[in-house]
Amino acid sequence: MSTPHEPSAPDGVDRDIPDAASGAPTTTSATSSATSSAAPTTASSAPLPGTGQWQRLDPRTLLVHCGWMAAPLGSLALTALATGGRITAQAWITLAAIAASFAVVTTIGLIRWARTEFRVTLPGGPDGTGTGTSGGHGHASPTLEVRSGLLTRRLRTVPLHRIRTVDLTASPLHRLLGVTVLRAGTAGSGDGRSELSLEALTVADAERLRAELLAYADAEAAANDPVVARISWRWLRYAPLTFWVIGGVFVAAGSAYRVLDGIGIEPWKLGFVQRAFTEFGASALWLTVPAALLVVLALGSVGAVALYVENWFHYCLDWTDARTLRVRRGLFTTRSVTIERARLRGVLLREPLLLRAGGGALVRAVAGGLGNREENRKRSGLLPPAPRPEALRVAGGALRSPFPGSGSPAALAPHPRIALRPRRVRGLLWAVLPGTAVLAGLGAAFTPVLLHCAWVYAVVTTALVLWLARDAYRNLGHGVEGPYLVARSGTFSRDTLALQREAISAWTFSTSPFTRRSGLVTLTAAVAAGEDGYRIPDLAAAEAPAFAAMAAPGILEEFLTYPEAPDHLPGQRLP
Amino acid sequence: MPEHAAPLLRPPRHRVDPRARHWWTAQALLTLSGPMLLVALVMAVLSLLFFPGALPWLGPLLLVVLVLPAVGYLVVMPRWRYAVHAWELGERAVYAAGGWFWQKRRIAPLTRVQTVDTVRGPLQRRYGLATVTVTTASTAGDIKIAGLSDADAEELSRRIGEAAQDVSGDAT
Repeated sequence: MSTPHEPSAPDGVDRDIPDAASGAPTTTSATSSATSSAAPTTASSAPLPGTGQWQRLDPRTLLVHCGWMAAPLGSLALTALATGGRITAQAWITLAAIAASFAVVTTIGLIRWARTEFRVTLPGGPDGTGTGTSGGHGHASPTLEVRSGLLTRRLRTVPLHRIRTVDLTASPLHRLLGVTVLRAGTAGSGDGRSELSLEALTVADAERLRAELLAYADAEAAANDPVVARISWRWLRYAPLTFWVIGGVFVAAGSAYRVLDGIGIEPWKLGFVQRAFTEFGASALWLTVPAALLVVLALGSVGAVALYVENWFHYCLDWTDARTLRVRRGLFTTRSVTIERARLRGVLLREPLLLRAGGGALVRAVAGGLGNREENRKRSGLLPPAPRPEALRVAGGALRSPFPGSGSPAALAPHPRIALRPRRVRGLLWAVLPGTAVLAGLGAAFTPVLLHCAWVYAVVTTALVLWLARDAYRNLGHGVEGPYLVARSGTFSRDTLALQREAISAWTFSTSPFTRRSGLVTLTAAVAAGEDGYRIPDLAAAEAPAFAAMAAPGILEEFLTYPEAPDHLPGQRLP
Repeated sequence: MPEHAAPLLRPPRHRVDPRARHWWTAQALLTLSGPMLLVALVMAVLSLLFFPGALPWLGPLLLVVLVLPAVGYLVVMPRWRYAVHAWELGERAVYAAGGWFWQKRRIAPLTRVQTVDTVRGPLQRRYGLATVTVTTASTAGDIKIAGLSDADAEELSRRIGEAAQDVSGDAT
């Protein structure tokens, strides 16, 4: 229990907080000096920002814990349906187990809820705002404190100026209950230790807390047009050009199989499945195989469009103030990611093969503090697959300057022609050779038809590999444009990276015996953001050091030698 | 940048400790070469005892698939590594070269150094060696110098620590 102390008037704490989240009933004018009488049994009595009082999470969180019951109960119901209402002894045991674990989980949830408290402490204000707890120690800077734990009490303290991103995520269940999870991420490798999460707060509280957490910096005036992009449903035509068209079908089939398997139904033994298979084998294959492919493609497209809608419904990318970029999206699960401008180190324009063929692209942020690799992948999306001009515009809007490298491909320096060779060799070695060898071997052993398959396969894949290798080579490029390093590579996904040069914290030169012989080297720029390392593959080894020194000065100059004057080192000093 | 010629990145100045070759040899014996040779030996013995007829084709097969790669790795890898591995602490940056088949040269400025760790594995301790790892805020910027002598490792970590202390901020 927190000790009561008189709440203070908000002394200019919520200065310049932009009106958060349209649609959320926020009232930033928090003047209601409602005494949060320190007995937060009735939570959702919205505490004032900056009262420095310990606050509880929203009690509705407890209901969220019941959410995990859905799966076992659903499977039980399905079992009952599948067996025609006869619930077996095994099912009863399952039910008992569910009940027992429900009791345990609810208890744990209750304890966690009861023992978790958080507050924002402010440095002593003019009217005595600040930490007023027993034994409270004043912080020099405003901090977010979260204490939790039943036996082991943990108190985590994060200075507000260390907080990099604040996300609000609400699963459908959360939205049903009107609550949301707030995650505050700091800089760091994002291994979970650098993140505080509060599960869960009412939407209004969370919005207010977020505004408060992000209010600690020199808030400049917002840009003239803070909204960078909104969803346009014309972009939906790009949804089927993603991996999910083919992959999604198999993923869905796999999960369906797993679910059926879990409730004790073996799909292969179902009557209609077996009938379908026997008929499939008996009918004209040259008709059924393309038909099946078409069905898969159609299903995949529908799935991809559905995924696109779920992920990007209500998508809006805007600058909430001059230094905070925010992405809001989602239909059932709403996601809202905020990226502090100082942590936005660059932008990645991705053009997967299919999407590129359709003239589309998507945009990702290269930002620090978004969490580990997985979380970073989920959160860094700035734009769904959309027309390429739109993607370039959004990338420029995120950088607040025209996206470099958006001009003609010639704007980037090409890589040496010899870089084409390893791409060809790799393709021939990994795609053409094994398939041909297997087919030829089988053909020699069993049937001459496969021998014909082998040479057809070899011819077709060789042509494809050569074409892809040429494309991969032509996509290679690097350059420096203003404050950005620009690098482009990849064929299955052509990625154009614009990275702040000052963010580069280390250079790596990697070689293998083959590249050493061809005079190539792969440069890797290390940044404390995004994927950590960004590769510039296969530059000319003779030019790479000069390029690295020019792109990010102050790292490797002292280790350079000039062939003509081996003793002379460049007397460059850091600016 | 002066324009008169393309500069080259010279290798780092200091080689690692010569004992590192023994350490890498021991590592190879324990991890890859030893097991491979053992498997070859066991199969040859079993074949001798039970299937003498298989020796004419099994012998060369074992030789090509197991014995030669194992011995080659054991002989080549440590020497090659020793030729490549090098390190240097400059005025403003740490520079290290590593690897053998796939080689890496990495340079990180001292302003970005976050921690310096010195690690001694059981094998390394036997040879009086240590590995110094300099971590930065980015995993792609971490510098690892393996096979230093104990004294060098102590000295190096102390100097990097001192050099990095002069810098404020969170070095991201």
